[in-house]
Amino acid sequence: MKISKLLLIAFGISLFVSCSNDDDNNDNTPKGDYDNGFFILNEGSSDQGTVSFVSDDLSVFTKDAYTAANGSDLLGKFAQNIFFDGDNAYIIAGGSNVINVVNRYTFKLIAKIDTGLVNPRYGVTKDGKAYVTNANTYADWGASADAIGNTDDYVAVIDLATNKFESKINVNATANRIVEKNGKLYITEPYNSDKLLVVNIASKAVETPITIGSNADTMEEKEGTLYVLRGPYGDRSEIVKVKLSDKTTSKITFPEALDGAGYLDIYNDKIYYTVYNSVYSISLSATEASTTPIVTASSVANLYGFAVNNDRIYLSDSGDYKADSKAYIYNLSGALQKELTVGVGPNGFYFND
Amino acid sequence: MTLRKLLFAFFVLMCQLISAQNDSINKLKEVIVSDSNLKKYSNSQSVLKLNDSIINKNEALLTDLLNFNSTLYFKEYGRGMLSTVSFRGTTSSQTAVIWNGININSQMNGSTDFNTISGSDYNSISVKAGGGSILYGSGAIGGTVHLNNDLSFYKRFDTNLKLDYGSFNTIGINYKTNIASEKWSTQIGFSKNSSTNDYKYLDKYTWQGEQRWNQNGQYDVITISANLGYMLNDKNMFKLYSQTSNTDRNTSLVTESEMKSKYVNGFNRNLLEYDGNFGRFTTNLKTAYIFENYQYFADNSTNDYTYGKTESLIAKADLGYTLFKSTQVNGILDYNRTNGYGTGFGDHVREISSASLLVKQDFSAHWKNEFGIRKEFTNNYESPVLFSLGSSYQFSKLYNLKLNLSRNFRIPTFNDLYWEPGGNPDLKPESSYQAEIGNVFTFKNISLTQTFYYIKIKDLLQWMPGKNGIWTPQNQDKVNSYGAETLLSWKKQYGKNNFGANASYAHTISEDVATGNQLFYVPYDKITTSVSYSRNRISAYYQFLYNGFVYTRADNNPDEIINDYTVSNLGIDYDFKFLNSFKLGLQVLNIFNENYESLESRPMPGRNFNMYLTLKF
Repeated sequence: MKISKLLLIAFGISLFVSCSNDDDNNDNTPKGDYDNGFFILNEGSSDQGTVSFVSDDLSVFTKDAYTAANGSDLLGKFAQNIFFDGDNAYIIAGGSNVINVVNRYTFKLIAKIDTGLVNPRYGVTKDGKAYVTNANTYADWGASADAIGNTDDYVAVIDLATNKFESKINVNATANRIVEKNGKLYITEPYNSDKLLVVNIASKAVETPITIGSNADTMEEKEGTLYVLRGPYGDRSEIVKVKLSDKTTSKITFPEALDGAGYLDIYNDKIYYTVYNSVYSISLSATEASTTPIVTASSVANLYGFAVNNDRIYLSDSGDYKADSKAYIYNLSGALQKELTVGVGPNGFYFND
Repeated sequence: MTLRKLLFAFFVLMCQLISAQNDSINKLKEVIVSDSNLKKYSNSQSVLKLNDSIINKNEALLTDLLNFNSTLYFKEYGRGMLSTVSFRGTTSSQTAVIWNGININSQMNGSTDFNTISGSDYNSISVKAGGGSILYGSGAIGGTVHLNNDLSFYKRFDTNLKLDYGSFNTIGINYKTNIASEKWSTQIGFSKNSSTNDYKYLDKYTWQGEQRWNQNGQYDVITISANLGYMLNDKNMFKLYSQTSNTDRNTSLVTESEMKSKYVNGFNRNLLEYDGNFGRFTTNLKTAYIFENYQYFADNSTNDYTYGKTESLIAKADLGYTLFKSTQVNGILDYNRTNGYGTGFGDHVREISSASLLVKQDFSAHWKNEFGIRKEFTNNYESPVLFSLGSSYQFSKLYNLKLNLSRNFRIPTFNDLYWEPGGNPDLKPESSYQAEIGNVFTFKNISLTQTFYYIKIKDLLQWMPGKNGIWTPQNQDKVNSYGAETLLSWKKQYGKNNFGANASYAHTISEDVATGNQLFYVPYDKITTSVSYSRNRISAYYQFLYNGFVYTRADNNPDEIINDYTVSNLGIDYDFKFLNSFKLGLQVLNIFNENYESLESRPMPGRNFNMYLTLKF
């Protein structure tokens, strides 16, 4: 703890020095200790989740930014997702039914949203409101599709001006990852759903879902098309392309060698996707999957977080959920740039530029 | 510091000011212990017996009694919440809890929650260190905790009633009646211990500056017991033990926004026993039916729950034969059929039979040996041959040397084998070799027991995430656990003044063989001390506990530890001598207001109070 504080101070001083050397303040002037870098969200396990911070030049690292900024306040269990709006970052701790609202540059706590949430998962914002998927109750293993736990998920609507829960939109299905585009929410869930849910924000109506197949998880929208990756167990992985204007789908079916695909991220007109600990890329217009990995991160036993940004590939290993695990940063040609020991169960990268 | 000294001085002073008379010595009449093998086959190991006068001085639930009076280490999810044990550096399912000779660890998770047991339901509680799988089966690796109901066969009709009222609305009703003659013995008991348990967290505030407190921590533990003994004649005796319990507990929140959940669990145990004594030949037949269940309400505002229950039928025949005057042999056949069903693991039946042979040989009054071998038969897993070898030699009045070597095991639980998803039907039992040397020094009123032990455990069951993210148990780790235990007791009477002191110290190294790291949640050091004083009608006592730091992570990350803590309790009572005994007592618990936790983010209460009334008539 002391070392990280020392580092912080050292970093602060270096900022002052570098700032004072700047003749004019350009956009890169840091607005706090955690500007110009990225966060690694650590889920935690028996203990609380944590958030690690790394500066863009990879020189500054804070292992537990939330505690550094907020002392003994508890972030919550099973930190699942961070989303941003304006100067705020919203950290979802699913196991504690809470969203911590912090200043994204200082990480100082502003508020806690702690009503209306039951196992919150992922969130997006649009026009001063946040839309957060809630898993609500879980059905027993092997329960039927219409069991309560499989039909009671909802989207919580939160007013970002007051940081208060406002209403909920029941989706009558399971809900997990969420993307917003042109006033509509698109929702996947990998375990109990084979559909892409569509929710109209204005009418709060659930539109006819789009069948895309089971095990659909990560997705990203690009130029009117939603790219969804699914990696069913024992069947071929696919990228399903949903044309949002008319809800038509097309797909790239992967060869058997790429069974069990994990994550997808689009960066600079390329689709990056993972299969176990290998990362591949294809162009947005490709019709076939690449089977030649950019990198195979052999030290990653269970890939748990993935992102591509700022000309880098970011991977994290879940570890055993009992000890701090690691994040790895590669350049786009697959050369390792940095290896970091972060918190327990690192599950995502969030960029604060 | 000065405050502590002052308090201590005040307490000592007060004791001397008031004069009283101490309790009379236990009557030496015929008492039939429920588990004769505990005494017979533990000459070469150390057994710490806590009788009812010690039980009464502690908080009602078993965690407190054992935490302040033995080397056992406990991890509590807040006061009164789930409490798991580590004995000699082993895991929570490697300590077996034995009720009147029957192993009652949960068939579902393999361990016992020590906050679901009220100490006052038993006449005595014994803590036996070291392996005991030969006699007690699965889980007796670190040691065994024995809950004993002893039946007396002499004319008596007496009742014991203890009423407690303490901080956080903690209420205890502990009642026991004995009715006995030379032929019959009956014991009826009832206990109810509950608390709203809404204690403040010392120096902890929410982000809005509000005092934090233990939310959703209420508990209520109720037990009814009835025990019956009938001596047909000199040769034949029947005993029936029966106990039903229900623990209704909410689960204390770590953060205020968490979902409030509730855990209800209960058991029903019945044991019918026959003792036949025909000269050289003895018979002990046992039949037991044990039922345990739980219901977990993830959201206690709804009626939705998950559950699990098991029913076990146990039949045991123990045939003893005195070969020579010095040599006794016991052959034991054991059959256990457990039916388990629940939301987590479906519906499964497990049948286990075992045969064991025990030999006890006393070469002389000074030199006693014991030997045992046991083999289990079941379709569920491959079971190792267990053995135990022990010897005790009394060199002089002053010094007794004890040696023991044993192989013990812990079988996979219903959860390990059948949990959906992830259960692994191909597991082996955890098994261990254990060696120990005990030195017992007795000098006048002082007894000092020092034991050194070494336990080698392999095939430790560990749940790990597999491919597809599903957790599954594997026979994974090897652990070497070794250390030293010291038990000290002293008693002295100066005229009307009675002094007593007990202390224990455990130094434990429990090392993951692959990494060389100390197991997490195993403290290197634990110390307990208790001092008591009584004179005529008054008695006072002081308890002290030091728990060394523990790592909370397998990698021994020095930033992730639970700090060491010391907790002291002070109690005083006065006997008004109405009825047989009418004691009014006051306890100050955690008198120095230590801010501590035994599990991360699970603060324990600061200074708190308890009043009690103990009546005997």
